[in-house]
Amino acid sequence: MALWFVLGLMTALAAFAVLWPLSRGGRSSPSGSELVVYRDQLAEVDRDAAAGLIAAPDADAARVEIGRRMIAASEAAPETSSAVHLIARRAVAVVALAGLPALAAGLYLAFGSPLLGGFPLAERQRADVSTASLDRLVGQVEAHLEKNPADARGWEVLAPVLFKLGRYEDAAKAFRNVITFKGESASRHADLGEALSAAAGGVISADAKKEFERAVALDAQEVKSRYFLGVAAEQDGRVEEARRIWQAMLDGAPADAPWRPLVQAALSQAGGTVVQRNGAPGPTSEDIAAAKDLNETDRNAMVRGMVDRLSSRLKQDGNDVQGWLRLVRAYMVLGENDTARQAVSDAQRVFEKDEQRLRELNDGIKQLGIGG
Amino acid sequence: MIAEAGHYALVLALGLAIIQSIVPMLGARWRDAGLMNVARSSALAQFLFVALSFGALTMLHVTSDFSVVNVFENSHSLKPLIYKFTGVWGNHEGSMLLWVLILALFGAMVAAFGNNLPLSLRANVLAVQAWIAAAFYLFILATSNPFLRIASPPIEGRDLNPILQDIGLAIHPPMLYLGYVGFSISFSFAVAALIEGRIDAAWARWVRPWTLMAWIFLTLGIAMGSYWAYYELGWGGWWFWDPVENASLMPWLSGTALLHSAVVMEKRNALKVWTILLAIITFSLSLLGTFLVRSGVLTSVHTFASDPSRGVFILLILCFFIGGSLALYAWRAPALRQGGLFAPISREGALVLNNLFLTTACVTVLVGTLYPLGLEVLTGDKISVGAPFFNLTFGPLFVPLLIAVPFGPLLAWKRGDLLGAAQRLFAAGVAALIVVALVWAWAKGGAALAPLAIGLAVFVIVGAAVELIERIGLLRVPFRTAMHRAIGLPRSNWGTAFAHAGLGVALIGIVCETTWNSERIASLKQNDIVTVADYSVKLESLIQRQGPNYREQIAQFVVSRDGQQVGAMSPSKRNFATRGMSTTEAALLTRGASQLYISLGEAGADGAIAVRIYYKPLVLLIWLGPMLMAFGGLLSLSDRRLRVGAPKPAKASRDLQPAE
Amino acid sequence: MTRKQRRLTMIGGALVVLAIAAALVLNALRDSIVFFTTPAVAAEKQIPPGKRFRLGGLVEQGSLTRGDNLAVSFKVTDGTATLPVTYKGILPDLFREGQGIISEGALDASGVFRADTVLAKHDENYMPKEVAEALKKQGHWKDDYGAKPGTAK
Repeated sequence: MALWFVLGLMTALAAFAVLWPLSRGGRSSPSGSELVVYRDQLAEVDRDAAAGLIAAPDADAARVEIGRRMIAASEAAPETSSAVHLIARRAVAVVALAGLPALAAGLYLAFGSPLLGGFPLAERQRADVSTASLDRLVGQVEAHLEKNPADARGWEVLAPVLFKLGRYEDAAKAFRNVITFKGESASRHADLGEALSAAAGGVISADAKKEFERAVALDAQEVKSRYFLGVAAEQDGRVEEARRIWQAMLDGAPADAPWRPLVQAALSQAGGTVVQRNGAPGPTSEDIAAAKDLNETDRNAMVRGMVDRLSSRLKQDGNDVQGWLRLVRAYMVLGENDTARQAVSDAQRVFEKDEQRLRELNDGIKQLGIGG
Repeated sequence: MIAEAGHYALVLALGLAIIQSIVPMLGARWRDAGLMNVARSSALAQFLFVALSFGALTMLHVTSDFSVVNVFENSHSLKPLIYKFTGVWGNHEGSMLLWVLILALFGAMVAAFGNNLPLSLRANVLAVQAWIAAAFYLFILATSNPFLRIASPPIEGRDLNPILQDIGLAIHPPMLYLGYVGFSISFSFAVAALIEGRIDAAWARWVRPWTLMAWIFLTLGIAMGSYWAYYELGWGGWWFWDPVENASLMPWLSGTALLHSAVVMEKRNALKVWTILLAIITFSLSLLGTFLVRSGVLTSVHTFASDPSRGVFILLILCFFIGGSLALYAWRAPALRQGGLFAPISREGALVLNNLFLTTACVTVLVGTLYPLGLEVLTGDKISVGAPFFNLTFGPLFVPLLIAVPFGPLLAWKRGDLLGAAQRLFAAGVAALIVVALVWAWAKGGAALAPLAIGLAVFVIVGAAVELIERIGLLRVPFRTAMHRAIGLPRSNWGTAFAHAGLGVALIGIVCETTWNSERIASLKQNDIVTVADYSVKLESLIQRQGPNYREQIAQFVVSRDGQQVGAMSPSKRNFATRGMSTTEAALLTRGASQLYISLGEAGADGAIAVRIYYKPLVLLIWLGPMLMAFGGLLSLSDRRLRVGAPKPAKASRDLQPAE
Repeated sequence: MTRKQRRLTMIGGALVVLAIAAALVLNALRDSIVFFTTPAVAAEKQIPPGKRFRLGGLVEQGSLTRGDNLAVSFKVTDGTATLPVTYKGILPDLFREGQGIISEGALDASGVFRADTVLAKHDENYMPKEVAEALKKQGHWKDDYGAKPGTAK
């Protein structure tokens, strides 16, 4: 809006520049003439002669010549009276008021991009402020922990953040500190193992395996460790054992366990037959296989694709509360909170009439921790 | 927002230029003061809008707004601030915008300070100026638009060509443009005079300050460009007869001729037709220069981009203005009244001689520049016309010109006394001969040409001094009277003397540098010592350093003479990662007017580095000369005689107020 | 002198100066013009040793050898023929193998091109015009040349 105002102002200024002299009627503005120049030349000759810079006969010759020019100039001088050509003035006014803006607007719209905002460096840096502040916060926490290394609560907060940021080795160190200062638990060992294997590029190293085994020893039902022990077995070439571990997990798992699809996929890839029970559609084994060979960006793209597929399915047939919740969660994982919120309101619109399902949806949303 | 406002301002400037190119001319025809005055206000407004536009582009460069293609392609957020500024005109689009900015500036200056001009002449001049402006606005908008945008802006820019990241670049192109484009005023005056069908001595006086101003800028611009090439390109050369340099030299030669012929026209009302033609030719050569540089017809260091559509567009502009003005000239010039008479031996005669040699020299440069192009078009043969050609043609033509220079100011108008002038120059001749003998003895024979050329230069310099002494009657009249006359002497006389002396000074520098330049190329390791002329240069150390947007390798040298340390030099080689290019930063050590020059080459595998060391005797005089010339021009410009015919200052300032 | 005579004197003087200038130009054009060729054309035309010309082409990959005291030798190729070049001095910043260059000099008795000037292209968008055109005529351009030396397209 401001842009259009500025452009309008400039147009008005330009038109004014043309109109202004026209409005000044016949008043003649200052102007010189040849006679003035010759008069000055005469004065100059006198001055030079007086200073002795030119000889007297030369000065006289020059005076005669300039005098001749003055006569010629006054004979040829055009009439100084100024005419007022009203029709022309009106035409010029019309051109200034209509033609100029039309030409300017036409050319500008042809070449310009009025809808694009500016994108200076300063703005770009401001746009990065969310990630920048995360880095700063992490930095602050790390500095704090450097001074108070026994702050177990601090390590506990920091560790998963570091893991998400991809600083796996630091994350492993942090998880280990949590265990040191806060005591062991199955999930802590599992997290440490996960960080270690991530730091090793996804390979379940001996250290990582030890952590998972410790976790299972503490809690035989600890899901993450069991899953990774399966992965370890598979990586060691003991596919049969891996399949057994995963199948056992699925058998003992509740139907709505969020990790079901993952384990199912792993299992089916390992050649096991998945017993489909109330299966929520997860990624196909091909998808997972593909995902394994992908790098980070491509993997994100693949996740994106799956989310989009889900979203378009829900748009066609929205009668699926769990589907909507999965979609919202997916968006939140991807960090697109606005889209997530949009999905929430879309879902709420779908279930407007169905009170029971609406409650179900809202409960789920509350658990996800996002306001409707 | 800024980009779009700048873009729109440029479009508005085009609209105003179109109105300004038609309305005042009709007004002059119908003698309607209101219509004629449209020229003035719209010229001022036009300048305002182009300045806004240029300001916007500068802002975009400074804030690194990469949503603008031009900024993205020529800037980088890490580039030092000063080069963000200079980067604005370090590329094709930006430099064209600077071109029209200066064009509009000159138009606005005529509008603001042209109160001494007759109303109709001013209206016509500004209208012609607006034709040129409109053509170039259209060119910029259609083929070289600096405000085109990228919908999804990249994070980082591509950086300015490292060779162009130099402070010399910050000043020399704007200077050159002020010169080139400044001649557009003389052109507009000439065309306006042809349209009005009236031209006389007063015209010459009105056009002279504008020509002089453009000439001063062009002189400084050429000198700076030459100095820039000297230290930035790392070859130690200061003039390459590169087509781009020729493109600036040609308008300078014909502009110098124009300055001199305008004097004849002002004083004697003669050479009118010729002066008009020179004014047209000078600006045509400026346009030709713009065409050669901008179209990519010639490839050289200065050609930023080559794009056929641009070339064709500029060629059309070129044909329109040169062809149109020459046709108008052919049609109207015969009707102009004859001027005053003069004998061949007279001040006028000397100035005609000056014009003759300057224009002929200009033609040889033109031939040397365009001949390869023509030959390639005609036969397909590719040739290069290099320094030898120009030395063989340009040189011989300048010798008689230089001999004639001291005579001119000593001859009287109308009918001069050559013998008398020669007698008065006796002292200068003797001085020149003594210098020839001394130099010849010092150089122990050697090249005969160099001492002679230096003698000629001394003749020119002393001749300029003799002219002043003659004028104030020093040695003839009592000292007090002479001093009194010196104070009363018009500044333009002083200006002439300085400008002519500057020519001689530059000649001395050129001759010394080319004749006694010593060069050593060597591969050096740490603590190695080389001797050049009387200096011994020792490589102290080699270090690496990180600059803002480059890495550089610096070699530190210690220079000593006769066992005495006289200074340290640290040339470097910079590597710009963004463009994958490196530049050579030469180091200079000034000793009087002479310089030691070191530039680095490749570093070898064994830790040795290739080094080029020059000793250039009196090299600084090459640029001191043009500076003296420009200073002379400034003195002349400040002469009150050039300002006469203007209304009294108080009145002028009151009248200027409402134009704001 | 009458006006007419004066004018004739001036015109006559001008013509004399122009004639001198024309003579100078023609003389200079005969002596100081340097032709541009590529190795293939140089071989075809059998340029005699000692005649100066400009040689343009690409520096052949792997042909650059550095000798003592800044002497270098390399081969310039246009895809059809190659010509060995020797040079003594500092090569320009942008001199690289596979790069388009122009060198000026003359052949010696053994058919080696002794260059006294070597120019490399000045930025990544700029190849000396003559080189670019000569290579284009032979169907080469920077990229495809590097990939398949010696195969004409």
